[in-house]
Amino acid sequence: MTPSVVVADSLVKFYGKRLAVDRVSFDVRPNEVMGLLGPNGSGKSTILRILTGYLHPTSGTAKIGGWDVVASSREARGQLGYVPEDVPLYAGMRVAEFLEFMARVRGVQAPRLASAVDEAVERLSLGRVRTLLIAKLSRGYRQRVAIAQALLGRPKLLVLDEPTNGLDPRQIIEVRELIRALSRELSVLVTSHILAEIERVAHRAAILLDGKLLSIEPLGGGGRAARLRMHLRVAPDRGDAAQQVAAALRKAGAELVESRDDGAWLIDSAEGAAPAVQALVAAGIGVDEVTPAASGLEELFLRLTEGAHR
Amino acid sequence: MSAFAPLLGKEVRALFQSPVAYIVIGVFLALMGYSFTLTLFNNKYATLIHIFFQSAGLLLLIVPVITMRLFAEERKAGTLELLLTAPVRESHLVVAKYLASMAVLGAMIGLTGTYALVLGVFGSPDWGTIYSGYLGLLLLASTLVAIGLAVSALTSNQVIAAIVTIGVLFSMWMIDTLAAMAPDALGRVLISFSLLARFTPFAAGAMYLSDFGFFLSTTLLALFLAMRALSRR
Repeated sequence: MTPSVVVADSLVKFYGKRLAVDRVSFDVRPNEVMGLLGPNGSGKSTILRILTGYLHPTSGTAKIGGWDVVASSREARGQLGYVPEDVPLYAGMRVAEFLEFMARVRGVQAPRLASAVDEAVERLSLGRVRTLLIAKLSRGYRQRVAIAQALLGRPKLLVLDEPTNGLDPRQIIEVRELIRALSRELSVLVTSHILAEIERVAHRAAILLDGKLLSIEPLGGGGRAARLRMHLRVAPDRGDAAQQVAAALRKAGAELVESRDDGAWLIDSAEGAAPAVQALVAAGIGVDEVTPAASGLEELFLRLTEGAHR
Repeated sequence: MSAFAPLLGKEVRALFQSPVAYIVIGVFLALMGYSFTLTLFNNKYATLIHIFFQSAGLLLLIVPVITMRLFAEERKAGTLELLLTAPVRESHLVVAKYLASMAVLGAMIGLTGTYALVLGVFGSPDWGTIYSGYLGLLLLASTLVAIGLAVSALTSNQVIAAIVTIGVLFSMWMIDTLAAMAPDALGRVLISFSLLARFTPFAAGAMYLSDFGFFLSTTLLALFLAMRALSRR
C-alpha cells in the first residue's frame, strides 16, 4: 500500500492558554483531495500552518512525504506548495518575476527555471498578465498566481486555505476544476467553511469544531460532486405519483430518495436537475418547483456539530 | 545555498527600487556635504574626524528607517508566511536582508569618500585616520543594522520597530554617560557596551582588536537573535 503523503498524529496547539487544536489525527493519501471542514475558528488554518512548518505544534507529530514537520522542517516544506488564506504576494513584483523568484526559492535550478515558470503560467492561464505588476491584478488573478507559485518545484502536496474566498462564481468553478485536475498528479489538502465546496471537490472530509476532529467522512470526490440532491414538487399530486415519478427518474439516472410530508419528493440525480425534469415532463408529470436539498454531508455536519455543542 | 541568491537579489531590488534608499542617501549626503564644506572653509584642516562623528550620529536615525520594514512589513503583508513555508533557511532570510541593508549603507558611506578625494587633491590628509574612520563607520553600521533587523523580526508594526530600534541604539550610544555615576566595576562594564566609546578610537585613527571584536560579536549576536525571533513559532 502506498504510504500517505500527510500523516498527522495527535496534533495539539495552544495559543497561550487557548486550545486551538485538540489531538487531531488524520492522513492524506496519494492523489487524494482531503477537505478540512469547519466553521471559522475551528482550527483549520492552525492545522495547515503546523503542516506547512509555519507553526510548531505544542505536542503531537506530523509528517509530509515521510519528513517530520519539526525535526526535518526544511525537507518537509520541500514536499509541499502552500496558498495561505489571504493570498500574500509581493505587490511590487511582476507576475513572471514573482514566479521566477519563488521557483528559485523552491530550488528549481537554472536549466529548468524558464520552463517551470512557463508551465505554471500556462497551467493557470496567466499569459495575459505575466508582465503585469501583481498590485494591478484582480482577486481572481491573485489567487491564480498564488496557486501557480505553490505548484513550482512539483510538490507532492498542495495545501489550500479557503481557496474560493472572495472569488466570483465563475472563478470558484475554475478553482474547483483545477483542484480536481491537480488531484491526478498530487495530493490536495483544502480547507473551507463552505460545505458545498468541500463536498464537490474532496474525496474525504475531516469535520472540525472548536479544534476537535469530529469525524472523517468519505465523499467520493469528483464522481460524487456531480450528484445533486433536490426537492421536487410535481403537479398535479396524484395517488400513483410515487410509482410514476420513480419510474421516470430511473430513466434519467436519478433516484427517488423519499417522499416528504409537505408534498415534495427528495431526489438524488447523478446528472443534475435537467435530465430528471425532462424525464418527468416526458412521462406527463408536470414539475412545479425544483429546489436544492441539504446534502448528506450537510446533514451529517449539522448532526455532529449539534451533538458536540449539546 | 540555492535559495540564498534569489533572496538576496529580492532584498537588494526591493531596497534600491524603493524611493526610501535614494531619499535617505540624498539627505545624508546633503547634510554631510554641507558640514564638510563649512568646516573645511572655516578650519582649513585636511581631516574628516567631524564627518565620522556626524555620520555615526545620523546612522542612529537612518538605520531604523531602513531596517524597520525588513521583517515587520513581510509579517504584516503575510509574505513572511510564504517564505517560511518554502524550503528556505531562516539564516538565509536574515543574512539576505542584512547584506542588502549593508549595500545601501555601504553605498551611502562610500559616496562620502569624495570628501577624502577632495582633501587628497587639495591637501595632505592623514590617510591612516581616514581609513580607520571609514572602517569604524562600516562596523558601526553593521551592528546597527543587525540590531534593527532583530527588532523588526519581533513585530508586524513598522513604527514600533523603528521607535524601539531608535531607543535601543541611542541607549547603547550614550550608555557610557551612565558609567560616570556608577561604581568602578559596573562603570567599566557599561563603557564596554557603549557604541560611542567603541567608535571613538576608529574615528581618531586608533584601531583596537577589542573594538573589532565588540562590533563583530554584537552583529553576530543580533543576527542570531533575529533568526531566533523568526524561529519562534
